[in-house]
Amino acid sequence: MLYNKYLKMNLRSAMQYKANTLFLMIAQTLVTIAELFTIWIMFKQFKSVGYWGFYETVLMFGIITTVFSFAECFARGYDEFANLIRTGNLDRLLVRPRNLHLQILGQKVEFAKFGRVILGIVVSIIAIVNLSVQWTIWKVLVLIGTYFCGAVIIVGIFMIGAGISVFTVENLEFLNIITNGGKELAFYPINIYNKWLARIFTFILPFACFNYLPISYIMGYGSLNPVIYAISPFIGMLFIIPCVLFFNWCISKYQSTGT
Amino acid sequence: MHFKGEMHYRAKALSGVVTQFFWGLMYIYLYSAFMGRGGIEGFSTSQMVTYVWLGQAFFAMRYVNTPKKVCQQIENGDICYNFVRPLNLYNQWYASYIGSTLASTLLRFLPIIFIAFLLPSGMGMSLPVSIEAFLLFLVALILGMLINGAISMFSVYLTFITQSSRGVSSIVNTITAVFGGILIPLPMFPQAMQQVLNFLPFRFISDLPFRIYIGNVDIKTALIQIAISLAWLVILILIGKLLIKSSLKKTVIQGG
Repeated sequence: MLYNKYLKMNLRSAMQYKANTLFLMIAQTLVTIAELFTIWIMFKQFKSVGYWGFYETVLMFGIITTVFSFAECFARGYDEFANLIRTGNLDRLLVRPRNLHLQILGQKVEFAKFGRVILGIVVSIIAIVNLSVQWTIWKVLVLIGTYFCGAVIIVGIFMIGAGISVFTVENLEFLNIITNGGKELAFYPINIYNKWLARIFTFILPFACFNYLPISYIMGYGSLNPVIYAISPFIGMLFIIPCVLFFNWCISKYQSTGT
Repeated sequence: MHFKGEMHYRAKALSGVVTQFFWGLMYIYLYSAFMGRGGIEGFSTSQMVTYVWLGQAFFAMRYVNTPKKVCQQIENGDICYNFVRPLNLYNQWYASYIGSTLASTLLRFLPIIFIAFLLPSGMGMSLPVSIEAFLLFLVALILGMLINGAISMFSVYLTFITQSSRGVSSIVNTITAVFGGILIPLPMFPQAMQQVLNFLPFRFISDLPFRIYIGNVDIKTALIQIAISLAWLVILILIGKLLIKSSLKKTVIQGG
């Protein structure tokens, strides 16, 4: 399959600079450890935030780290879409008789990010082991769904950014709010923030669907019907549909930079 | 020259201000959720709010960046053209780093400070505790920026060794973000850890000036701390100069 070839190509190019890739991976792992360290400090100093404890927050941190790095690793093409436009390479992709999304995904696979994916999973496991939860088959399913949901939503967010950069050409800094801002927001349960901020990140950008909603189900928190919490990640995945539509619409409006 | 270059990007700056404003609000909500109504000893909620807004306003001065152009030159080998020029490279790099940091700060800090003062109490910024504190804040802030530049020159040195500026800048960035109070304000750290961090240069970049402003340290301690940061500045620049000098001597130029 074409995507396999892309993968191999990217892997080979990463392996050309083995030391470099490894060094990058270590450097980025350090970032994640530093972030986890800050969460630890907050809980050391304040014990809890609302009814949320340390390990529940660590689990959410593990989830967002895993899915965000996963998306950065495999969907980097959308994240760096502005480069494709500026260099005119998008024109080349558009004239090829192959699926555009497949080609964008294959453009860049950043293996250095994969270290963080693994670290995210390790952190999640540490959190799960330390949580006192009566696991049922449903809870396990919801947890697995949460990771899928997260990855799908982050890729969707990258697509929105890519779509907007069709018009702005340059990657505007405030897009940072929905990518990195959302990421840092989702380190902690989103319902501890101010109401309108929590609503935006639940109903418009559904970060909550892989954050406090499913974890509320697993922990048995919250005042709503547990079914709502349980199905939230599966509903959140639908977010990708408007994202793809928006992206395709933007591409249809694309005018080359003429490079 | 670099100063002018940065001034061209007004639209970028505006989008930057919006972003900074969002981050500020987010951090305030987050820390307030943890602190509840009381706060911690010596660091009340309103002090925290002012600390966060100062951090957003002087954002460009807080992070230690790795000078992009210089590192690109190191990575692609263009650096060798600089060797034939009769210039002290350290001074040139240092000056251009300070220039661009100053420019991006000047472009951004006023609108954010302005909005932060207009916000209702509980979200908005407060005035400095006294005029003396404000003056010392300015002195400490300038010293902090100079220390930032000196640390940044170490990342240039590390790029010489590793030939990978992305990895280096990510590491240097993270270390300063944690130990400099960017990820969490240092007054929120446990006491024992704060004591250790006081021995490192990172807190002098922005934590000390902000603390002077909010009155978390008194005037006398502030004066002593400013003297210490001055000493750090001299030490860091001297070591940096030596390191860069030695690495220039054994540079391996990549490519032709």
